Amino acid sequence: MKIIGVAACTVGIAHTYIAQEKLENAGKKAGHEISIETQGTIGTENELSAKQIQEADIVILAADVKVSGRDRFEGKRVIQVPTEVAVKSPNKLIKKVEEVMAQKQ
Amino acid sequence: MVGKNLFQSYFDSHFQTKEDVYEWIAEHTSQQRLTVIDQFEEREKAGSFLIAEHVVLPHIESEEVEESQIMMFRLAKPFDWDQESTDVQLIIALVLKKDEEIGTKKKISLFMRSLADEAFIDELLHAEETTFHQKIIQFQEERS
Repeated sequence: MKIIGVAACTVGIAHTYIAQEKLENAGKKAGHEISIETQGTIGTENELSAKQIQEADIVILAADVKVSGRDRFEGKRVIQVPTEVAVKSPNKLIKKVEEVMAQKQ
Repeated sequence: MVGKNLFQSYFDSHFQTKEDVYEWIAEHTSQQRLTVIDQFEEREKAGSFLIAEHVVLPHIESEEVEESQIMMFRLAKPFDWDQESTDVQLIIALVLKKDEEIGTKKKISLFMRSLADEAFIDELLHAEETTFHQKIIQFQEERS
């Protein structure tokens, strides 16, 4: 499965980056292609390309604040959770994503 | 205390409540103690600081701190941070200076990413004192 997402937290220096790393690790471990953009105090990093967005099966928004450029994901299946869910239970979150996609098919 | 610049590490810390922790950090990083304590409490209302079992990451961005600092405390005795975060053994506290330079923010973000690694967290939770301090110093040196 191709998963993309955005991580963004309140202060923009801690949970954003831990959430990105944990989600990418959990996604890869489960055999998916995954890329998470960070919107933190540094600005946007690992910015998702139009191609990545177009090809994605699902979008994870791990965010405690408004995600910039959310309209890029219009028409996509989106799961939104607080960053702490991605930080504390990344594997469970990826499982949830798999379930959502299975229901869709 | 062992460490320099951005990173500091403390072993066998004798905190017993999160209020003790906020008080200590505020006193050591700012002239505006009460404001810093308030900022931690306000940030915590927005979401839990628990990042792994036994590990909390209290962090704020503040105009009232003079230098950004990451302070790692291994506790002499675990305590319950709150109802959800029980038996806390490792506290990683971050105070980020308002309008900090981008290079320092990048260094901090790299360190934060490393906290996603369960093996690294496990090492910090279980390392002997010398190794614990070395982990932090190494981290600072590798990324300087």
